[in-house]
Parts: sequence; C-alpha cells; structure tokens
Amino acid sequence: MSTPSPAAIVEMRDILKVYPNGVRANDHVNFSVLPQEIHALVGENGAGKSTLMKILYGMERPTAGQIFVRGKPVTIHSPHEAIALGIGMVHQNFMLVPSFTIAENVVLGAEPVKRGLLDFKAAVEATRQLSEQYGLAVDPEAVVEAVPVGIRQRVEILKALYRGADVLILDEPTAVLTPQETHELFAAIRNLVRNGKTVIFISHKLREVKAISDRVSVMRNARMVDTVNTREVSEDQIARMMVGREVFLHVDKPRLQRGEVVLQVRDLEYVTEAGVETLKGVSFNVYAGEILGIAGVEGNGQTELVEVITGLRRAAAGRVRLCGKDITNASPRQVRLAGVAHIPEDRLTNGAALEASIADNLIVDRYERPPFTRGGLLQPAAIAENAETLIDQFAIRAPDGSLLVGSLSGGNMQKVILARELSSRPKLLVAAQPTRGVDIGASEFIYEQLVQARNNGVAVLLVSADLNEVMSLADRILVMKDGEVTAIFPEVAALSEEEIGYYMLGVKHMPRETLAERM
Amino acid sequence: MDTAAPLLSFDRAAARKAVHDERRRSMLLDLGVTLATILAALVMGFVVIALLGRDPILAYEALLTGPVTRLGRVGRWLELATNLILVGLGVAIAFRARQFSLGGQGQMVAGALVGALVAIYVPLPPVLGVLVPALVAMGVGFLLGLLPGVMKAYLNANEIVSTLMLNAIVLRLYDYVLTYFLKPEGSSTTRSLPVQPTAQLATFSELFSIEMGRVNMGLIVALLGAVAVWILLERTPFGYAIRAIGANERFARYGGINTRQVIALAFAVGGAVSALAGIHLLLGVHRRLFLDFVGNIGWDGITVALLARNNPLLVPLSGLFYAYLLVGGDRVEQQAQVGSELVQVIQAVIILLITARVLGEWIRARRAQIEQRL
Repeated sequence: MSTPSPAAIVEMRDILKVYPNGVRANDHVNFSVLPQEIHALVGENGAGKSTLMKILYGMERPTAGQIFVRGKPVTIHSPHEAIALGIGMVHQNFMLVPSFTIAENVVLGAEPVKRGLLDFKAAVEATRQLSEQYGLAVDPEAVVEAVPVGIRQRVEILKALYRGADVLILDEPTAVLTPQETHELFAAIRNLVRNGKTVIFISHKLREVKAISDRVSVMRNARMVDTVNTREVSEDQIARMMVGREVFLHVDKPRLQRGEVVLQVRDLEYVTEAGVETLKGVSFNVYAGEILGIAGVEGNGQTELVEVITGLRRAAAGRVRLCGKDITNASPRQVRLAGVAHIPEDRLTNGAALEASIADNLIVDRYERPPFTRGGLLQPAAIAENAETLIDQFAIRAPDGSLLVGSLSGGNMQKVILARELSSRPKLLVAAQPTRGVDIGASEFIYEQLVQARNNGVAVLLVSADLNEVMSLADRILVMKDGEVTAIFPEVAALSEEEIGYYMLGVKHMPRETLAERM
Repeated sequence: MDTAAPLLSFDRAAARKAVHDERRRSMLLDLGVTLATILAALVMGFVVIALLGRDPILAYEALLTGPVTRLGRVGRWLELATNLILVGLGVAIAFRARQFSLGGQGQMVAGALVGALVAIYVPLPPVLGVLVPALVAMGVGFLLGLLPGVMKAYLNANEIVSTLMLNAIVLRLYDYVLTYFLKPEGSSTTRSLPVQPTAQLATFSELFSIEMGRVNMGLIVALLGAVAVWILLERTPFGYAIRAIGANERFARYGGINTRQVIALAFAVGGAVSALAGIHLLLGVHRRLFLDFVGNIGWDGITVALLARNNPLLVPLSGLFYAYLLVGGDRVEQQAQVGSELVQVIQAVIILLITARVLGEWIRARRAQIEQRL
C-alpha cells in the first residue's frame, strides 16, 4: 500500500512519534477518515490519541510517517498550515478572549478589515451567516464571558469553520456539557456533516461514541487497535478493545446500610475575593455508609463547597459539623484530624507533589506522627514500608516508593492519592472528580474502592461532572446550580438523566420544604 | 476468566531493576555532563584569551594549578570555601522551600556585628568564647530571616524585594555602628578592636605550625554543618514539611501542613546558618571588623547553593569548586595580565553553563533522537 486510498479525506500512515524522553506516543499508527463521516477516536488516557491529533493539527511533528490530505502527501508544521489544508481543531480548553464579542472571537486572526480597522459589521455578518448555515445558534454580539460553556464551544467550532475547515477535530467536546447541551452539540455535528464537513470526535465516553459516530478507531498503548463501523460493535466490545480485557464499569452495591449523620452542612455561604457569591446557603447531610453524589455542571459552586468543607477556603457564613463537632473554617490539619479524607479535584495542583517520591506523597497527612517520626527524626524504614504496603494494596504500578509521582500515569497517580486518603481511616471521604483523566482500568478500581469505603460505614461525598458516574455510584443525588441546591433525590434507581439535567440547568427547582425534608 | 490478571501481571522486580538502572545511568550522565560543561567553558575562555592576544596557556596554568601551588594559596582557597559553604547551606534551606531568600549578605553582616560585640568586649573562658558569639550571631541571623519570612508567609510580601532591602539596611547600619561606636578613639582606619584571644577560631597554621594562611577550624564546622543541614532537611519532620512545600505548596497545605509557619521558619533557620559565615570571618579569618567586611560572599553563596542544586551534601563540593575558581582567577590576573573582568566572565560562563544544564538537555535530546532511529 504505497498510494493513498482514494476515498480518504485525511490519511495518516505509519505514524511514529517518539518523545525526547524516549516515550513512544504513536507506534506506527494508521488512521484514515472518509469525507463527511463522523469518526470517533477512542482510547484510554495516554493511548496516544491526543498525540495523533496534535500531529494532524501541526502541533507536533511525527518522528516518521506520512500524512495525506485529499490524496496529496503533505507535511504539516504548524496549526496555521493545518488550517490552510482545511483542518480545524476545537480544544478541550477553549482558546477564546473572554472580553471580546462572539463575532470578534470568530474572526480573530483573520479579521475583515475596512480602512485598516476591524470591520465589526462584516464580522457580525460573517458570524451570523455561518451560524445559520450550520445550525450553530449564537448571538454574534454577545460577549463571550457572559455566555454558557455550550455556546463558547459553538464559538470555537464557528471559529474553525470561518477559517475554512472541512475537517473538524473535536477534543472531548462533551466533557464540559450538560446532557441537554450534549444533545444540541450532537445535532450540530450531524448538521455539519450534512453540510459537507467531516468530524473527528475524540472521546472516552462510549455511549456518546455509539450515539454519534459512523466509524470508530480504537487506540491502545500508542498503537491503533482497529477501525470498525460503529453500529457493528457494542459498547462493551469497544471497551474491551480499549483496555485489552473485559471491563466492568457497572457497579454492584449491596443494600444501603445507612447509619448516623456524619457530615452536617448548614446554610453554607462562600464569597470569592472578587466578591462573587458562589455558595448561597447550601444545606445537606451525609450519613455513614452512604454515597451522596453531587451533580451539576462544573463551576456551580461544587469546588468551593468541597474546599470549604476540607478547610482550604473560609466560609462567609454557615456551619460545617463532623459527627457533631464544629469544623467550620478549621485548618486543613484540624479537618483531617477530625476524620475527613479528601480526594481533590485537581490532583496535579492539590493532591500530589509530582517532584516528590511516592513514599513522601503517601505520608503528607501523617509524617510527624509515629511510626513515621520517632524521637524527632523521620524513620525512612517505616516510610518505605508504608509505601510498599500501599503500593501492593492499591495495585499502584510502581516498582517501589522511591519513584517520583510525576512519572506515574494519571490512573496510578490517582491511586496514590486514594491510597493515602483511604488509609487514613476517615469517617468522611470527600471525593471530587475521582476518575477525571483516569483510564478505564483505574476507574473500575476507584469505583470499587469508593463503594467498599461506603460498605465499611464511611460517609462518602462524591462530586463529579460525569453524570453517569454519579448515577451509578450514588445512593442519593444532590444537584447544584449557581451555588444553590436545586434538588435532592433520595432514590437513584428510577431517575433519568434528563430529569437531573433540568435541575442542573436551573429550569426546575425543588421547593425549600422538600429539600429540607430530604436533607 | 480472571479479569484482573493483566493488572497483576505487572512485574515489579523487573520494573524496579529498570528504574534503578535508569537512575544510575542518569546519574552517570549527569556527572559526565557536568565535567564536559566545565571543559567546554574552559575551552571557550581559552579561545577568548587567545583572541585578545594574551597567552592562554599561561593563564590556564594559573587558573587550574594556581590555588594549589603554594600552601598559602591552599589556605586561602579553603578559607574562602568555608565561607561559601556556610552561606550556601543557609541559602539552600530557604531555596528548598522554594523561597528565594537573598538575605545571606545581610545575615552574615548582622551575625558578625552582633557576634563582635560579644567577642570583643566580653571576656569569656575558652570554648565559650567562641560558642557564645556564634550562638548570638545565629540568633540574630534567625530573626533577620524570620522578618522577611513572616512578611512572605503571612502578608505575601515578595521575598526577593524584602530580603534585598533588608540587606541594604543592615549594611548601612553596620557601617554606622562600626564608624561611630566600635572604631577606637583616635584610630585612623575604620576598624574595630580585635576579638578576645579566647574568641579566636584556631587556624590550621597555628595548630599544625605550617604556613597555610587563615584557614581555620571553621572549615570543620562547615563540613559538619553540611551533614547537619542534610539531617535537618531529609530526616526531620520540619525538613519533610520544607521539602513538601518546595515540591508543591498547595499540596502541602492540602495535606495539613501549616505552610505559613514552615515557610517563615525556613527563612529564619536559613538565616541562622548564613550568620555563621559572618562569625567564621570574624573569629577565624579577620578577628576584627572593618568596612566592607564580607565582600561578595553572600552573593557567591547563592551561586554555590544553585550549583549544588540545594543539596546540602553537595554544597561543600560546589563551595570548594567555586572558591577554587575565585583563587585561580586571582592568579590569572597576576600571572597572565588578563583583566579581572575577563576572569569573571569566564567564571560566569562556567557557572551559567552548569546551572542552566544546557549541555545536559542537549545530550538527552540527541540520545532520544538516536534511539528513535534504532
């Protein structure tokens, strides 16, 4: 096979990418996309899908291999050249200027100019036209920082279209969306394809892959496992291709054995330094032996809630009690001593010190106590032994505790955090986005551990942007919107994603009495 | 089917061996790179000197062998190294907590000044004569470090600015006290009386009756100090907290460490150690105070800490190395008529190349490239 297949709009052949540190991110990968298809690219974190797409978009140079666009061999040195070839990419982190209008953002870098000045009218007109043509409704004159995430994403897509993209790479586009917004995005994607565009859809949510894509390419360990027609495979089959073995993400929980109230949160308020009220009187309980799941679009106060409870931020008003003991605005140390463990949402900045060893990471909450410190001196033997035990117990893939945490994969890093927090024998475990960026194998393990903690009578507060995760793990679900509790569901079994979605969007709001009753 | 099998099949023994092999390779590479870097800088200096029409061979002979060709120069070398090691250790403590305390200069001066008040005017028995001024100096260094430390930790004041300003204040204060209070009436030079005989740190020349300049027992203290600081950082809970903050301050706070307190104390303890360099100059080297007493040592100490990558056990090596360059540089000036500016440029290039680790990164990248092709 030395000529490009005539049908493909993009073909990547025998792509090899080796990073200077010797890591093989792409190991002779073949990938081809047909015109006007929705092509899902799936794989666990670190499987190499981002690298492959960065190569296609000119952000990385392949070590070896060829790229053909519309049958012609090309070399792509920069995103600029990729765009010239009709390839556009929408990143996970939006690259928009918040204080600019949508139209200004769309034309940024390729502005229509009249007499040396930005032709604002032309920009608005161009944006309106594109938005109508592809069914991506936006108000061109709205300021980006004032519109919700779903709209910002559309702006990113419009930006790519404005530059003439025929092939759109969407990098985990649903990660930040509500179920309703996801539906709208999917409708827009189908529209794009009807209008002659081609979409590459990077994801690890297999349900969405099933729902939207025509074909799916699966990567594992830097290699392309296979490309198949989506309707010919099941979710389980895709999962098996990704992981290389059977996986079970369906959580089995024994019946709820709900105990005493462990965490009591009452009328909690938080105001940011900028004066924005991000928690507006939040009240709820978490009981021993239950998992209370907090659902909500990110940025609706969940982060603040978790950090106020764990002592990392100071509440403006309200009370937090742990087993009756007031821990409102206590220091992180006091909160921990009271029996709270915390899996933070951002493990890279909060949960771990990447430049420190696994062993050191595992004792940050207990280093000054026996057996780790005796007679004023650290006990290296005890510290190493603690690491050995926890590495075994939590199946952390590391040769020993002296390895730096920064050299672990996301999943194993999360296991280090999990190992530390669970081994502190907490009464309350606060788990924020515990499986974000974690591969399926490790997610499975983390789910097991959370459920096991619950079964052992720990009160678990689970905060997750992944509604699916909340629904499969939680015994009760609380929904947050704009710093308020909009719903508490005492039963999860009969709930639909749509129903929760209405409360996430703030369309529905349970009455105060109901919330108080279900607290 | 045992679904967990692939996870458990991870071969820990093999992985351990691989990691340790890699670590050893990496260490050897590091060492090789450091030596190659020094060589590269020397070659560059060689070319520059030749281009300027001076005799590079003569200059290099002076630079490389100058410090060891006479016992007196060996003494000068070791005496200088003692200062650099002590300041370097103090600096390294704060740096390990990722606090860029530049207060070494001021802490030395303040330590020497206050130590001198005791050492000159308070007659004490042997041993105590040295110990008391040293402890007093450490206390002053501690307070002088604590101030910017508290300002940084609790008020978020930039430590670079505050330590630099504090240095300026301390230096002026030193000049003032020396000129108006310590200088004996009628003396024509601005200097203090000598310290009490019991306050003198014995020099090797006095101890062994050889002509080795002013290198003294302070060298032993500095070497023991390196071990002590290593123990402090690697083997005490306080050291753990410093390292955790240095690795990731938010992580340390999340984990329950009182980060403010530890940061403030890291500045303070570093100050106490740096002040010992001032005491060494006072009791071991000059045995009295005069204007511009510490020269550039506070600054060079920062370089020494950086060279050692803030590893206390490497500080003596980097201190000896840097002192060697300084003494060798003096020899170059005198023997090869190469200007001191040029000597400093060559020294700076060596330091820059090592600290920036340019060559190391380049070699690593090349190695990866070659491996790719295989």
